Amino acid sequence: MQDVGSLIRNDSVHRSIYTDQHIFDMEMDLIFNKTWVFLAHACEIAEEGDYKTTYIGRHPIIVTRLAGGTVTALINRCRHRGPIVCQHEYGNSKHFRCPYHSWTYDNSGNLIGVPMPQGYGKSFDRTQLGLTRVPRVAEYQGFIFGCMTEFGPTLEEHLGGITKFLDAYVAVSPTGKIDLFEGTQKCGYNGNWKYQLENGVDPYHVGALHLSAVTPEAMEIYRQGRGSVVAMDGHGVTDHTDWGPMPVDASLSGGFNLVIFPNLIVLRSQIRTVRPIAVDRTEIYTNAVRLQNVAEDVNLRRMRDQEFEFGAAGTFFTDDLEIFERTQEGLQSGAVDWVVFARGLDREEMRNGYMTGSMSDETQHRGMYQNWKRMMTSVTSPALAAE
Amino acid sequence: MTVQRSDVEDFLYREARLLDTARFEEWLDLFTDDALYWVPAGKDDIDPSRHVSIIHDDKAAMATRIKRLRSGFAFSQDPASRVHRLISNVEVTGPEEGSSIFEVNCMMLLVELARKRQTIHTARCEFTLDRSAAAWRIRRKKVNLLRNGEVLESTPFLI
Repeated sequence: MQDVGSLIRNDSVHRSIYTDQHIFDMEMDLIFNKTWVFLAHACEIAEEGDYKTTYIGRHPIIVTRLAGGTVTALINRCRHRGPIVCQHEYGNSKHFRCPYHSWTYDNSGNLIGVPMPQGYGKSFDRTQLGLTRVPRVAEYQGFIFGCMTEFGPTLEEHLGGITKFLDAYVAVSPTGKIDLFEGTQKCGYNGNWKYQLENGVDPYHVGALHLSAVTPEAMEIYRQGRGSVVAMDGHGVTDHTDWGPMPVDASLSGGFNLVIFPNLIVLRSQIRTVRPIAVDRTEIYTNAVRLQNVAEDVNLRRMRDQEFEFGAAGTFFTDDLEIFERTQEGLQSGAVDWVVFARGLDREEMRNGYMTGSMSDETQHRGMYQNWKRMMTSVTSPALAAE
Repeated sequence: MTVQRSDVEDFLYREARLLDTARFEEWLDLFTDDALYWVPAGKDDIDPSRHVSIIHDDKAAMATRIKRLRSGFAFSQDPASRVHRLISNVEVTGPEEGSSIFEVNCMMLLVELARKRQTIHTARCEFTLDRSAAAWRIRRKKVNLLRNGEVLESTPFLI
């Protein structure tokens, strides 16, 4: 196995980061098991007892709101023989029962019921057999994240400069809080998860791949080349706020796109969750964002446009999904190992403390891959360092 | 007004054939100006003002969708999906006295071939058909995909 760090150059990345199953296994361990992973929006589990099931890498997860309002995240895996204990996407329950042998847990994970416990003998300690808790759960502006390590950067440290963009994103809502419409758009593609992360902050492709879908007015703005791309604390930003602020109607006319490494994309009227399944399989879950205290027709337009452009039949998203699959096919060729991310290298500059490029540049991608390299080559994980 | 079920079936077969043979403009002409073309997401019975759909198009959005498919730059349809639709279990309700509106339910088996991959969808379809003019018109087409709550592959063709 070659040195993983050597797979990331400043102007290119090695194709194996998209095609090598061993690299994918390392990503599950060194990225998804180490850093903050987006789990849910607060409005999805608004009431006490509400839960949502999701994933952190390969771990099935239950995110649940406990009595008193705090949020916890549990590994959805019975401590006895291992079945998931909750098979619904959403619900409300004070307990989770594995139907296999009726081991029962309360919704904070404690093992509260075991049939015929005397069979385990005197040493049986049910306090040690609760559902495994995700060590840290934190929320920023309603976005709930979980982290599989007990120590390390806080969520706000992890988000870094992204916090002010999330502040601005929710500030579009007159109450300063956003909700999600009901339901989730679920799409899958036979390709690596990182294509979606690159694509979420990639203005360069909009006028090309989306030529059939983008409006002439938006295309004109893109052609003017205003806006910037930013490598921000390991995340990616395309900042169009010099066209105008995040528009209430979520049109392609201003605002910004955020790729919050490793699994959350926030743009226009949608939040997209990226779920890596295998080195060549990815699922995307998209939710439409509803503003509070705006006219109903404004919110409806936000949802209708999101569906039209970004659902499974979306006029933009189908072409994205198509190109992700074509990329996976093309990168099977090792005739050339390197994938080019050199755009804007000679014109990017530090601005407000962040490397910033022009509208169509790849500065933001380079930043994400430097972050990927740092995580994939860190010898001691934060958890190990703390022990 | 009385119609035979076979009249409705003939119309549904024609609608399916227009889509299967990429005669999208003729297909669009089947719809009334106030028509709704709806593919719910998650489950069949949702409130589309509160819950996302896979497709929720008025006629203008349908026309835009077709214009894109015809643009030469709809890369997810280059080459175009090949699609076969089988229509079955046709049930006709109506019309009310003095009305020309029929509610029609049918089952659809839709097989798409694209990127060397065959994808099978089944759906329970609901049509609201208007027979007030000389020809049938569609006021509402709702496609309840069996897999509407599951992860879907890219679905760039007209369902």
